[in-house]
Order: sequence, then C-alpha cells, then structure tokens
Amino acid sequence: MSRFPRLALVLGLAGLSAVTGLTAIPAVGQAPKSGGVLNIMQREDPPQGFSIHETATISTVWPGMPCFNNLVLFDPLKKTESMDTIIGELAEKWSWQDNYRNLVFFLRKDVKWHDGKPFTSKDVKYTFDMVREAPDAQAKLRINPRKDWYANVEKIEAADPYTVVFHLKRPQPSLLMMLASGYSPVYPAHVPPAELRTTCVGTGPFKLKEWKKGEYIDFVKNADYFVKGRPYLDGLRYIPIQERGTKFAALQSGRLDVAFPGDASKTIADQVTKAEPRIKLTIAHQNVNDNLLLNVTKPPFNNVKVRQAISMAIDRRAAVQAVHQGGAVVGASLAPRPYGVWGLLEKDLAGLPGYGKSADEKARARKLLIEAGFGPANPLKVEMATRNIPIYIDLASFVISELRQVGVEATLKQIETAQWHPLATRKEYQAGPNLTGIGPDDPDANFYENYACGSPRNYTGYCDEQVMKMIDQQSQELDPKKRVQMVWNVQKKLEEDAARPMIDWRLEHYLQWQYVKNLIPHQSIYNYGRMQEVWLDK
Amino acid sequence: MADKRSTVTGDAIELTLPVGLGLPRVGFGTTIWRFCRRKPLGAAGGLLTLALVVTAVLANFLATQDPIATDAVHTLARPSPQFWLGTDHLGRDIYSRIVHGARVSLIVGVLSTLLGSVLGGLIGLLSGYFGGRIDLISQRVMDILQGLPLLVLALVMSASLGPSIQNVILAISIPIIPRAGRVIRSSVLSIREMQYIEAARGLGIGHLRIAFRHVLPNTIGPFIVLTTAQLGSAILVEAALSFLGVGVPEPYPSWGRMLSVSAAEYAQKAPWLVLFPGIAISLAVFGSNLLGDALRDTLDPRLRGG
Repeated sequence: MSRFPRLALVLGLAGLSAVTGLTAIPAVGQAPKSGGVLNIMQREDPPQGFSIHETATISTVWPGMPCFNNLVLFDPLKKTESMDTIIGELAEKWSWQDNYRNLVFFLRKDVKWHDGKPFTSKDVKYTFDMVREAPDAQAKLRINPRKDWYANVEKIEAADPYTVVFHLKRPQPSLLMMLASGYSPVYPAHVPPAELRTTCVGTGPFKLKEWKKGEYIDFVKNADYFVKGRPYLDGLRYIPIQERGTKFAALQSGRLDVAFPGDASKTIADQVTKAEPRIKLTIAHQNVNDNLLLNVTKPPFNNVKVRQAISMAIDRRAAVQAVHQGGAVVGASLAPRPYGVWGLLEKDLAGLPGYGKSADEKARARKLLIEAGFGPANPLKVEMATRNIPIYIDLASFVISELRQVGVEATLKQIETAQWHPLATRKEYQAGPNLTGIGPDDPDANFYENYACGSPRNYTGYCDEQVMKMIDQQSQELDPKKRVQMVWNVQKKLEEDAARPMIDWRLEHYLQWQYVKNLIPHQSIYNYGRMQEVWLDK
Repeated sequence: MADKRSTVTGDAIELTLPVGLGLPRVGFGTTIWRFCRRKPLGAAGGLLTLALVVTAVLANFLATQDPIATDAVHTLARPSPQFWLGTDHLGRDIYSRIVHGARVSLIVGVLSTLLGSVLGGLIGLLSGYFGGRIDLISQRVMDILQGLPLLVLALVMSASLGPSIQNVILAISIPIIPRAGRVIRSSVLSIREMQYIEAARGLGIGHLRIAFRHVLPNTIGPFIVLTTAQLGSAILVEAALSFLGVGVPEPYPSWGRMLSVSAAEYAQKAPWLVLFPGIAISLAVFGSNLLGDALRDTLDPRLRGG
C-alpha cells in the first residue's frame, strides 16, 4: 500500500464500483432445492484437460469452469453480458483508478484452494503474469492463445495478501470484460500449470473427483466453498459423446440433463423438442462466427484485390439459409444486434464487400479477379484447408460452391483438429473456412486476439499499422458512444481489406430438461458454465 | 469341349489340340446369351455393374444439375420434377450427386482393386513359382496383412495418409494384396507342376520367362473372379471410409459421404438424403457380388458342375 499513497483516498473519494459478492444472488422464481447430480453433455474429452488458459475451445472451458473462479464473472443469472452484469467472485470489490489506468481488486479473505491452501493475491499475480508472459513470470503456459488480451498490462502488483493492482500502459475499460470471461480463471500458484491438464485444483464450487477418459468427468460439491449455501448440486457428471445423433438421443432419453453449448443445430433442436416437449429450447447467441481465413502472408492473398474478390463471391445470406437452415445471422467482425452490442448496423453492412446483392457482388468479384490477373484462361486455384468436422465441412462445401461461380477453382483438404491449430498458427495453409469463438462480446477481446500483429491467434497474418492504431484508439476511449463509432470504423476497415471475411454468426439452440433450473445461456457460450447456481427441480 | 478349351489357353492349346480339330467359333453374343441363361443372377449382377459403368462414364450427360453447386433457396427439397431425388441440406441435387458419385465409386473401386490384385498377383506368382525362402517370407507377410480386416486396415491407412482420392485408392488396395496373392499363388502351385511347364524348362527357357509367359496367362480366370469379387468390397470400403470422414473429400460427391453425419442429422426430416445413396451403394455392391459369384462358377472348373 505504501507504493500507492493515493490509493485509499482515491478509493474513498472516487467511490467504489463496488459490487457485492455472489451471496446476494437470488434464485429465479421458486425456492431452490439442494441435492442431485447433473448429467452434462460433453462434446469430447477436454483437449487441454482443465487448463483453461491453454485452450481456445469450449470443449475445455465447459467442464473446466466449475472447478475455478475468476476475479469477476458475468452474472450467471443474466443472459445479457455487459459491464453492468459483472459480479465479483474472488474479488469482493474492485475499482478503476487514475482514469482507467489502474484496476484495483480487493479479494475475499475466506477462500481456500481445493487442497486446503489459502487463496491470496499472489495467486492472481502468478496467473496473469504467466498469461501475459511477463519477464518475471513464475511459470509458462505451453500454449497461450490469449496473451494479447493482456498486452496493455504494464505490471501486476500484489499490494497486500488481499489487494491486487493491474497497472496499465494506457486506459483500457475492456480489461474488466476480458477478466469476466470463462477464459480467465485464477490458477493456484503452488500447482504447476501442466498438472491442470490432467487434474484440477481450483477454488470453484465443485472439486474434481475423477476423470475417466472417454467415459466421464465427475465433480463433487466443494463443501468449503466461500459462497455459503452454494452450490446446490451434490455433483456434476460430464459424459463425452462425439456422435451428434447419439448425444442428442441421450438427452432425449433423459440420460443427460443438459446439452453441450453450441452443439445443437436448429434442425436437431426442432426435432428433439418435437419428440420430447419437456425439453426446453433457449435461442441465444454463441459469439461464434463463421469466417474465411485467407493467408495474407503469401500469394495470392497478399493481394487485397484477390481477397476482396473472394469476400464478394460469398453470399452471406445464402450461407445462413444453406449452412444453418436459418439458424445464424449476418454480421461483420463483432456480433450483430440484438445479440451483440458492437456489431455494425444493417445499413452499414450493405455497403461493404460481399454484403450487397449476390449477383452484383459476384460480377464485381470477377472484375477484380481479372484485374489481379486471373480469368477463364488462368483461373485462380485455391486449396482450402478445414477441420475434419461436419460443421466445418458444410461451410467449406458452401464456400467452394460460391467461389466456383466467380471462376475460382477450389479444392478441399480435411485436417484433423489436433493438426489444424498448429498448421494455422504456422500459417501453412492457403485458405480455410473456419469458426472463431470469442470469450466476451468485446472489441478488445476480439481485435487483439484475432487481428493484432503477432497475436498467436491471428491465423491470417493480417497486420496493418493503421488498423492497429484504430484498435488502440477505440480500446482507450472512455465515452461509450464515441467508442461504438470507432469500433464500427475498425470493422468496416477489416471487411474492406477482407482481412478475414466474416460469413455469419451462429445462433445458439440450447437444450435442457425443464427440471434444470438457473442454467441460463448467455450471448457467449464461454461464460456460463460455473454451475454454482444450478439446481434440479425433481 | 468348349468349356475345356476355355480353361486351357495360350501355348497349352497349341500342344493339345491340332489345328482344325477345334469346335466352331462361338460368337460373343452367344456366349453372353448362354451365360444369362445359365446364370440369371449373374446376368442381373452384370447388368447392374454395366449400369454403374455407363452412369459413371456418362455422368456429365446424365446429371441434371451441378453436383457441387449449393442452392440456399432449395435446401432439403423433396423429390420433384426439378430435383428428381430431392436436395440435401446445402441445396445440392441428390440425383446429380449420385450420378457423379458413381464415377467416384467406380474409379476408386476399379483402381484400388486392380492395384491390389496386380501387386498381390505378382507376389503370388513369384512366391508360388519359386517357392523356398521367397515363398516362406512373402507368405508370412501376407499372414500378417490378412490378419487385419479389410476395413480396419484401410481405415488405419486412410486416417494416417489423410483424406484424398489417391490415398483412398492406396488404402483400399493394400488389404487386397494378400487376398490376391493367396489366390494366384494357389493357382501357380498347380500350374507349375504341369507337363507343358516341365517341357518349357526342358527347352531351357528361363524362370522369369516361364513364370510370366507360360504360368501367368493361365491364372487369368482366378484373377478375373478375384477382381470382380473384390470390386464390391472396395466400393463398400470406400463408402465406409467416406462415411467416417477419412475417404473421398468434399466437394467430390461420394455415396459414403452422402450418408455421413450431416445427412444423418437431417434424415428424420428428409429421409431421401440417406435413402437414395444407400440404395445406390447396395445395388452396386450387390451387382458386383452377383457377377463375381457367377464368373467364379463359370470359370472355376471345380465349381462348374457336370
């Protein structure tokens, strides 16, 4: 505290953006009942175990979240995520200082790790120094997909055992949004991160009991949980089933109580709810988009005209109908309204490459290709690479069909998931129909992860100084109205440059039995898996 | 007599039948007619196989739509005059995809069968003719290969090589090698003991020349039976590999892939997605199996009867 003489005063005068802990969360509707085990659908064994910081897939976040806590989290009982729905978890209170340059967290004092050791500010510093790869970090992650979320953090200070300060290089209000994502748990400083790939030591509402690969992941209630009276459930069982028909048959038969986020298509959801009306369907947003990766570091996609032509060739509205049977919406690089806050308006989209009338756009695409030196005599030949998963292959088939209409000859190379991410990171591909999920609906989370120069998740290699400047400017803008306008400008520029042509945003068709209470799908599938408030009415 | 002649070919005919004493020439049409009368099921199989070949060759003319083109307006359309067998979830015409899928199935089936049979046949020929250590070593390798089921071996190979038409052909052909090797070897073991082979050796003809010039042509009967019988299996394995996502990649239409996960997802709503590709696979495999059985009965003197 001595290093921050102004801190106490500022805290007092400026007022705390204080939010009380989760004990205040009311149960929705009727009085919650305790007990029971929730059987949860799992798409596959979590590829990185429970090491959420090392993953970029919901397959790890979904079963990992009940084991951990964040400093702050999006209120699990509110379907819309925003700055206003952030509540404290390990942080009892927090406060922005020095015009959004310092973020101070006051931690709970009654928290223990699952192995009985006390939780302190050292754990917070350890975790986020490791994620941002600070020079003095005590540990290193094997894979670090979200390093760039914390690029603006200058240092993290454990001022005392229960106070931690994030010092920023410049103001960044979005930091709190990123910390509230399911992707931002606090790790134990006394457990090497590699161990979290096979076991789990957290502070969360559930303790890992057993993980039998390919069969189940069992959690039991954490009796020492710092939120009194929570969790309601005695345990959780995640059952991995890969085949889509089988897993939804298991849900329909009652073997599973809830679905896996993002797995049910509109058609499946309709079929299941028709066959079993006691299964509830919630339509939400996934915060996952379909896009086309174009490797801009190599010809021909280092030519902006070729990229624009490809973008123009793809009919977005047809993709929504054909690939998703209407279960998606058109949008640019941030989720469109009403599902997202920052998405471009329909009128702005209409003027961007690929969003106009399909026939006109395709004619423009052919013209651009000719200008770039490709025509009927010398057609552009592209090898598409995509993950060997039906939802990716359907998207790829659609894109190939669209490109054929402007004279582009595309073939498809199907790649196993384990090989896909290293290949994309090394940019050893030409083009790739892809799905990108973003933790929170926030410009910084998306732009720094997917478009920032040098980010490990910037698979296309797109790097533009002007765009980086625009991204930094919007990031530090404190006036929300001005910031929205700046974010729109970034999105327009990205689409005009065909940096990573967006195709559509997937809608979530979440299925759960009616007796499952308080599991409320959010606008992002990555942030509501804590299971602390969930209970069974049976 | 005609049947006896058909089993003894090449140099053997010249040694055993004086010129001018043979039966009158039998026309191709008559041969086919006799085959149809004696083996009606085989004839039906032949007809189905012929239909597969014709469909594959004339796919560009028979298809009514582009098999790859998606159509957002007509997704999951029922069979109609515009889309004879309906459309899939991406709006692609099922009939046109089945017609073009015949080409993929036939190319993969024929090439993988030929590749596997030729390689296996050569190994069987050398192994059977020379015997000794060559036979011992090659047959133990064959034992290992044959110990693995066709689909399992093809699946492992295809998964490790990655999905592409070339890799699928290779993956299916390798498990065929030991089967072909065994069949040809058994024929060679009996042929090499025949008098005309002894005579050839007595005339000082080299081993390789005897093996390829005098033994190999006489294994053509079993070879035809083998390839026809394996064709059905190869088509079925290709469909299975594509169904499992390690076979022929999109956007090529493949019957197996048409049955795969996405189609299964919509099968309740649009049963034509799985019904028609399923029928196509069944007919192709059924046809080649019937033809293979009939050819085996006709060409193998032990099964010819009477």
